[in-house]
Amino acid sequence: MNKFWIITKEVYKKNVKSFGFLIMVLSPLIVAGIAIAIAYFTSQEAENAEAPTIAVIAEDASIQEMLSQDGSPFDVQTDITTQEAAEAAMLDESLDGYLTVVENDGAIQANLSHTDSLTDYVPLLNEQLATYQTMLRANELGLSQEEVMSLSEPVEVEESIITIEEGKLTAEENNDTFVQEFGAYFVCIGIFIFIMTYASIIAEEVANEKGTRIMEVILSSATAGNHFFGKLAGVILVILTQIAIYVVVGAIGYLFAKDIAFIQDALNAIDIGDIIQQLLGYTIIFFITGVLMYVILAAFFGSLASKMEDVNKAVTPIIMIALAGFYVGLFAFISPENILPVVFSYIPLFTPFVMPFRIASETVGTVEIWISIIGTIAFTVVLTAVSLAFYRANVLIYSDSGIFGTMKRSYAVMKSNRKAKKLNNH
Amino acid sequence: MLETKNLRKTFGEVTAVDGISFNIDKGEIMGLIGQNGAGKTTTFRMILDLMTPDQGEVLWQGKPLTNRNFNQIGYLPEERGLYSKVSIENQILYFAQLRGKSKKEIKPLIDVWLKKFEVKGKKGDKVKTLSKGNQQKVQLITTLIHQPELIILDEPFSGLDPVNADLLEEGIKEAQKNGASIIFSSHNMNNVEELCDSLIMLKDGKQILEGSIKEIRESFGRTNLFLESPLTLEEIHQFPGVQSARINKDEITEVKLSHTEDGKAIFDAATRNGYITTFSQQPPTLEEIFKQMAGEKHE
Repeated sequence: MNKFWIITKEVYKKNVKSFGFLIMVLSPLIVAGIAIAIAYFTSQEAENAEAPTIAVIAEDASIQEMLSQDGSPFDVQTDITTQEAAEAAMLDESLDGYLTVVENDGAIQANLSHTDSLTDYVPLLNEQLATYQTMLRANELGLSQEEVMSLSEPVEVEESIITIEEGKLTAEENNDTFVQEFGAYFVCIGIFIFIMTYASIIAEEVANEKGTRIMEVILSSATAGNHFFGKLAGVILVILTQIAIYVVVGAIGYLFAKDIAFIQDALNAIDIGDIIQQLLGYTIIFFITGVLMYVILAAFFGSLASKMEDVNKAVTPIIMIALAGFYVGLFAFISPENILPVVFSYIPLFTPFVMPFRIASETVGTVEIWISIIGTIAFTVVLTAVSLAFYRANVLIYSDSGIFGTMKRSYAVMKSNRKAKKLNNH
Repeated sequence: MLETKNLRKTFGEVTAVDGISFNIDKGEIMGLIGQNGAGKTTTFRMILDLMTPDQGEVLWQGKPLTNRNFNQIGYLPEERGLYSKVSIENQILYFAQLRGKSKKEIKPLIDVWLKKFEVKGKKGDKVKTLSKGNQQKVQLITTLIHQPELIILDEPFSGLDPVNADLLEEGIKEAQKNGASIIFSSHNMNNVEELCDSLIMLKDGKQILEGSIKEIRESFGRTNLFLESPLTLEEIHQFPGVQSARINKDEITEVKLSHTEDGKAIFDAATRNGYITTFSQQPPTLEEIFKQMAGEKHE
């Protein structure tokens, strides 16, 4: 077996089997589970709430009939027909309110006396009375059912958002900015969480091997490149495993939950297909390059630490950069055209946090997006090359002089190795 | 077989290694001695291609040693370390795989080696549950189990009790019998005398001694005299070339001479009346040579 794969496999197995991984994967699921459970019980309660009891006092019995139809949200006490009886019923709390309706030349005048428990139902009652009045008027005017319908037909408004691109007006295909902003938000938080966890994991991996001098044994067994990329690949596989678990759990959850009423309501509000499409676009590119950049950076900084205890110190600058990116991203959410997010969206380490918000707010053109993507990819390639060049020298230097001291010495060793190689080749 | 030619490495102003050349044949054990900071670890790192020498080259079987040869190497770094949360077995398997062995080849050997080095613990145990000495033995197993042809051990004896040191000596001798070229550094001259066919001493990056132990010792002359005779310490001090004389706890007089020939006059005087039980003129011990050389200024 190739040594790259041996290292990849070892890193992957060790991390996936660890207790920490289990916690890391489960905790968001548990939080989501609790949120869903709370939403479920709240909606259950709303469903199970008893219909309020009302009495209708009117000359025309048809109002009472209409309100006590099947499916009506009200429980109409048809045996109460006088104000006195209704008031008595309210006194012994068997009635939530009573409606007095008087017809005046075809106009309805209604008076609702009710306890607080009926407050939420007032608009509903209004609506029903309005319908009733429309029907009354229609009858008066001799309109047919169809004519009434045609009167209340809503106007269809088609909306298309126009952006100015290369001097032309272009209609956006996807005008659902809510979905885009949701996607941007998701990427921003997702990248940040993944960076926080996996930057420490890979930095610990590297610093642990360096601190225990295992590194020297490994680098006399395999090349620095094999080791560096093997570690990266192992950690990336762990990330993919975590994402895969969420996708599977999400899919299973969807299959089970799609028939539950309140989730259906929630799903109607958003279009799953739209979100997936959104995620598969630029968003995934920013997610991948973002996580990759930071993981490589973390491996590099991890190789600068002399021992395990120094890992936190080594990772702090990375977390700081990520945190800054995260906040500029949130700022871009509010004001995407501000100069700060605009500038930051082109700085590779910040692009994945900021650019998705600018795309979501449609304040940036395709060309600019691709410039930033190419920028991050180019930066990732350069970062990888530099990290790898330093890596071989870094892992042999044990210094108390902090990260920058180590880097300085490491640079000297690297230069000396380079110079020596050149001389030897001549 | 390993050959280094005029290795040199500088770090900025500091010259860590300066012109080191040696040969180690198949089945030969070489000792590398020198004080802390003399350049031993840097030399090892250059051999292992962890560092590129500024000058000179490292040849393995006549060709420059590169990562193609990594599978033939067994290396024990000076400071010890293993993955503390990984089981003994998986640890050994991982390192062996990195040296190009398959799990199938190594798995059946693990029990044999654990027994050979008397490691206390089951192969499923995590390394952190083992004592320090046992961890060190597990690391030695990871260095040797893949039957390397070039074995580099940086201070392998440090931290081992005499029983475990013997086990390690056995292990090294066995690897030698299998034809490995072995190089190790040590501060314990007894181990060096016991094991080494040849020796190199480094000081400030320079190679100040080389050769077989016998050659090196003899080159200092037979200046250590052990004597049991009627001569008193005062009488001995009168002889030319006597640097010091004392009676040790076994009632034997130990005399330090300037030259081998200085012994003759003492021998004549001591045997004036015939038979004496001890007159033994020996070269200085390795430890004495080490101390003497480490103390001298070399330019």
